[in-house]
Amino acid sequence: MKKKVLVAMSGGVDSSVVAALLKEQGYEVIGVTMQVWDYSSCDITPGQGTCCSSVDVQDARGVADVIDIPFYVMNLEAKFQAYVIDPFVHEYLEGRTPNPCVNCNTFLKFDHLYVKMKELGCDYLATGHYIQTQVLNETSQTVLVKGRDPVKDQSYFLFTLRKEILPHLLFPVGDMTKEEVRKHAERFGLLNARKKDSQEICFVSNAGYQAFIKTRVGPDLLTGGELVLLPEDKVIGHHEGIHTFTLGQRKGLNINHPKPLHVIKLDPKTNRVYVGPEDMLYSKEMKVRNLNWMVDPDFDSSYDVKIRSHHAGAKARFEKHQDGTLSVHFIDTPQRAITPGQAAVFYRDNILCGGGWIS
Amino acid sequence: MKSPVYLDYNATTPLHPSLVPFVTESLTRWGNPSSVHWAGREAKKLLSMAREKISAYLNVNPLEIVFTSSGSESNNQAIKDSLPLMAGTRNEILYSAVEHPSVLKTVQAMEARGYKGIAIPVNRLGELDLEFFKNNLGEKSALVTVQLVNNETGNIFPIKKVAELAHSAGALVHSDMVQALGKIPVDLLDLNVDLATFAGHKFYSLKGAAVLYIKRGVHLEAFINGGGQERFRRAGTENALAIGCLGQAIATLSPDLKKMTEKVAALRDNLEKEILKKYPEFILNGISAPRVANTINITCPGIDGETLLINLDTRGVAISSGAACSSGSQEPSPVLRAMGLTPTEASQSMRISLGWLTTEEEIQFFLEQFDISISHMRKAL
Repeated sequence: MKKKVLVAMSGGVDSSVVAALLKEQGYEVIGVTMQVWDYSSCDITPGQGTCCSSVDVQDARGVADVIDIPFYVMNLEAKFQAYVIDPFVHEYLEGRTPNPCVNCNTFLKFDHLYVKMKELGCDYLATGHYIQTQVLNETSQTVLVKGRDPVKDQSYFLFTLRKEILPHLLFPVGDMTKEEVRKHAERFGLLNARKKDSQEICFVSNAGYQAFIKTRVGPDLLTGGELVLLPEDKVIGHHEGIHTFTLGQRKGLNINHPKPLHVIKLDPKTNRVYVGPEDMLYSKEMKVRNLNWMVDPDFDSSYDVKIRSHHAGAKARFEKHQDGTLSVHFIDTPQRAITPGQAAVFYRDNILCGGGWIS
Repeated sequence: MKSPVYLDYNATTPLHPSLVPFVTESLTRWGNPSSVHWAGREAKKLLSMAREKISAYLNVNPLEIVFTSSGSESNNQAIKDSLPLMAGTRNEILYSAVEHPSVLKTVQAMEARGYKGIAIPVNRLGELDLEFFKNNLGEKSALVTVQLVNNETGNIFPIKKVAELAHSAGALVHSDMVQALGKIPVDLLDLNVDLATFAGHKFYSLKGAAVLYIKRGVHLEAFINGGGQERFRRAGTENALAIGCLGQAIATLSPDLKKMTEKVAALRDNLEKEILKKYPEFILNGISAPRVANTINITCPGIDGETLLINLDTRGVAISSGAACSSGSQEPSPVLRAMGLTPTEASQSMRISLGWLTTEEEIQFFLEQFDISISHMRKAL
């Protein structure tokens, strides 16, 4: 019996190559695209820097036709709204900087589609993520390992996966570079071989995330407040709403001050935005909540911790608390702009051990 | 049993194998039916033959048959082109809540032009609320449009009674009969409607040919202006091949209607029995109201209809689900919702529609694949 695999196809080159490769390797391949967002009324240029516009759905269908596999579109607009859009907006209103891609992976790709994969009697779920699986010799446990191409590695966005599902996942491009993937796409005659990489957040249009938030909530929730200078704790101006700021930000503060000022802290309760000199952005401590471990934690040793997707990672030790949260102490150097709402992801060697949300 | 199994005859039917020689031969009649010369005459013959066979079968006059491109077009014509010629005070359209989208959306379009649409409800059994209908008929009623057979449940509506009531109130009557052809006999003289819709591809014929019956004396504005085709009702060079094929289908297949209906009913009854034997908790929709022999509409609690459809499709079986989510609409089956099913119940429903070419072997294959699919889906949760 052929092994059956459900491939999550976005219309991009990576997941297209995944479907084509698995078909070539003899799997019975079923392609599926999630329709997550109604793009009819937005100004995103089709196929330009988005991962899931309706034009991309057509691209995915075109690829499925070329490689001759059954293809379906699942409408997940309601789920996307509830698990990705609403929390995204809420996080900004709470003074945090959210990471919607992780939620999309957690609740749509590796929950909803994982269940669909099981329901359809498939053996595997495959995606075009740049990440690898590896079976550990000692425990025969399946773990996730960073993608081979360090520029493309997407492990940071996948720390919430439940460890039970890992043996049922396939990431065929995880050990490739983008150039290798494009070569495969050309070899298979896929039309999207040279399509641009997806960038930014797929549902936020060219007008930017602030404009997006404005369309989602009433004006009463987007009121302005005081700009406060640290360390003096002195009110020095007014701002248009804390959702327009992110930690470390320097541009757009509209203050005359002899030294460059950065956003140091956002307080949703008082609606205050605190600014100060850059050195105040650095810290060796952070708290992390809602933890997920794919490899059992060892609180006696250190981990490499990434605090944003393009962060190089830094050595840290953990202290576990009764309430399930974690204190993280960076060992060597203080980190710049540890941002609440972003993920803290833990590695040992290249193995993705787990992670949580910076609070 | 290896070849794929088709159980979605209400969506469209395959071309009946007995019609293939006719279609092949007719491909050489490529002329423009409006042309005076031999080439035109050859094509024109197809139209004349079809008009004659179809009108004879429906028990009407050949001149009352207008050829169109699709059932949707016929429904559009019937509604859009009849209303402007009604007396000015009549501006209400009564339609059943379970009509095909080509009726529902057309009524909506007319509402935007100032007409008032009134939906006649159906009950949980799928029966039309005739009391509501009577109470809402009156001097303002312009047009009543109620289908003869529902596409999702196969329920049959009492069109003769509907027409009688509507006429006594002075309203025009249109009926979408697309799902009736090949399932129940249709006698338009007896049913006494003013306008009726049929489509070839629901009756083992080709896509692209449909019928709008317009009773003599009923006036409609032209749908497409241009040449004199269809007596100026619908300009445009006719699809003579598909129209001829529909005529041939009516002529050669209709005599088998009774025999085929009995065969399909036996397969359908057996299929329903087998499903309920194994899954007593599944619910058959619309079975206590009058219905045609080929349609099963079933709610499977806990089973997502769209996933079941995909599951069966990957195993070579084509059915239809009560949810149209993949087509972008979030609302699962407006028909089942109108019958009072909750959105969840409607999304856990599917339609199996059998046809004249369905075999016992295919039903068995379906049942096997159905079991496998349901078992995977239950294990996953």
